[in-house]
Amino acid sequence: MFTTQNLVSVAIAALLTAGLYAVMSYGLAIIYGVMKVINVSNAGFLMLGAFMTLMYFQWWHLDPVAGAVLNLLPFFGAGWLVYKLLVRRVVSARPIATLLLLFALWLVIQNVALAIWGSDDQSIITAYTYKSLIVGGFRLPLTRLIVFAVALLALSLLHFVLGHTYVGKALRATVQDPQAALLVGIDTERISALAFGLGTALSGFAGSLLTLLFSFTPDFGGPFQLKSFTIIVLGGLENFAGVTVGAAVLALTESFAVLFMRASLQNVIAYGLLVVALIVMPGGVAQLWARTRS
Amino acid sequence: MRSSLRLELVAALAVGLLLAAVPMLIPGNITLLNLGILTFLYVAQGVAWNILGGFAGYVSFGYAAFFGLGAYTTALLWLAGWSPVLTYPIGGLVAAAFSLLVGAPTLRLVGPYFSIATIGVGEAMRILMLNLDKITGGASGLNLPTVVPSKTWFYFVALICAATSYAVAAWIRTSRFGLGLTALRLDLEAAESLGVRTTLFKNLAHIVSAALVGACGGVYATYLQYVHPDTVFSFTLSISLVLIALIGGLGTVWGPVLGAVVFFVVQDYLQTSYPTFHLLVYGLLLLVIILFEPGGMAGLAGRLVARRRGASAGPPAADPAPHAEHERAPMPRADAERPGTERTT
Repeated sequence: MFTTQNLVSVAIAALLTAGLYAVMSYGLAIIYGVMKVINVSNAGFLMLGAFMTLMYFQWWHLDPVAGAVLNLLPFFGAGWLVYKLLVRRVVSARPIATLLLLFALWLVIQNVALAIWGSDDQSIITAYTYKSLIVGGFRLPLTRLIVFAVALLALSLLHFVLGHTYVGKALRATVQDPQAALLVGIDTERISALAFGLGTALSGFAGSLLTLLFSFTPDFGGPFQLKSFTIIVLGGLENFAGVTVGAAVLALTESFAVLFMRASLQNVIAYGLLVVALIVMPGGVAQLWARTRS
Repeated sequence: MRSSLRLELVAALAVGLLLAAVPMLIPGNITLLNLGILTFLYVAQGVAWNILGGFAGYVSFGYAAFFGLGAYTTALLWLAGWSPVLTYPIGGLVAAAFSLLVGAPTLRLVGPYFSIATIGVGEAMRILMLNLDKITGGASGLNLPTVVPSKTWFYFVALICAATSYAVAAWIRTSRFGLGLTALRLDLEAAESLGVRTTLFKNLAHIVSAALVGACGGVYATYLQYVHPDTVFSFTLSISLVLIALIGGLGTVWGPVLGAVVFFVVQDYLQTSYPTFHLLVYGLLLLVIILFEPGGMAGLAGRLVARRRGASAGPPAADPAPHAEHERAPMPRADAERPGTERTT
């Protein structure tokens, strides 16, 4: 069972999954970074992204990857509105009020989806769903490769925007110190709305990509949401590069743990890791690494 | 304040006695008894949840773990030949022990991070139990003995659960312990500096409420004669408790009572046609409440009373819901900045 061949293929599969994990967690990290709000409603938008993709597929036979791109704009608008209409009103109250507000929003989205689409398992089967490539003796499912490539592209684009545009720099400045950002003339209010829009757009995008790999129901955002939490906590919460590290750590841990236990216990690993990470390493993997080096 | 407190207790006692008389006044009405049993269990849990979530301000999304542990403790002991009544306190103890195990590390987390951690713990427990099929029956659940006491008996047991929760919460509210919880909710470091033993208090609140919820789980298991990990450990159950307390009035003693009654009636009314529709209704209600009336129904009632008094008499009444107002954080401050653990523990 534990041949090198096997272990390498498990590692490859894990890293391919990590790309998707990173995309679905990035939005959470951006929103957290800018306004220190844990966006629980992310789960709802992830699910909505998946169902919209299903709709595009049924109406126009649109490929999920194209659906992901199509989702960006409406989801950005939705996120912007959520910030303007809801979050802005409570963001100065205790942090728990924001959490509960977004939680309520998630409940509403989820149950509206249940009313519209019912609780049946849905899936999207494309022409390439069951195809795979054989590279160097390893069988790689085509869907995973595509998802990974698209995720990588999206992350690179995001990295460029955050690193080289005015908006991106303003956003990162707000993450570092909102007061100082305000002092140098950054409209942090606008950056917050933008961050919420961007985060939600990424959820919609990731939701589309998820349809290539998993079947889904209106409930399905929850487990992925918890995984996203695990990832950003592992990544150090406001460390954007940490998201990628966290995604890789989670995907690898999950995949290798399954070699030793039942597959149905896989999510326990993610949830357990979340609790442990929150308690013992609030600064994430990076901090742990820095600590052991000094 | 003292006299209004006494009035509240007298009112609670009167309501309790009235409810206890229902099976005698309207005999043989099974539907009513069923409604009563489940409502009382919700009341008991909502009030218990509020001890940690409302009084101390630690919003937990993981109480199904305590309910489930209580339910399974009762189920297993009952199958081993115990009398169910004896197993309820033991279920409560098991839940309390687990709450200490989980609470000791997680209660060090600040506000929202605690909430997120509890989701993790709750869901992990559900999946673990689902996979421990030798003990829990796994995905097929456990069938329990069919010889059970009458509905009237369950009605009284559930009523006793609700009354116990209420009494415990009411006592805590007025005790030094309760004051300590309020203090640590408002400002953890200030409370600490004044000598409130915050770690001890938080954990005590967690343990007490977990024990109450665990006992309710046991009653529920004997009442349904069936336990399944997905129902007794369900996330929906955890959410329900949060909703009940928030909609009724976070941090008040009788708010969750009101919340539970409304919650169960709405659920019962909508369940047959739209099984999860009540969660939509409740989600919308929660949105409205957080945006406009963070004190919930209790806060709204208090505000209405205050307005009427204000209209009839000169000086405005005392703060109607002192524990559930918008508590503004003074500044973008330390706990907003850093997720981690408090400095003090």
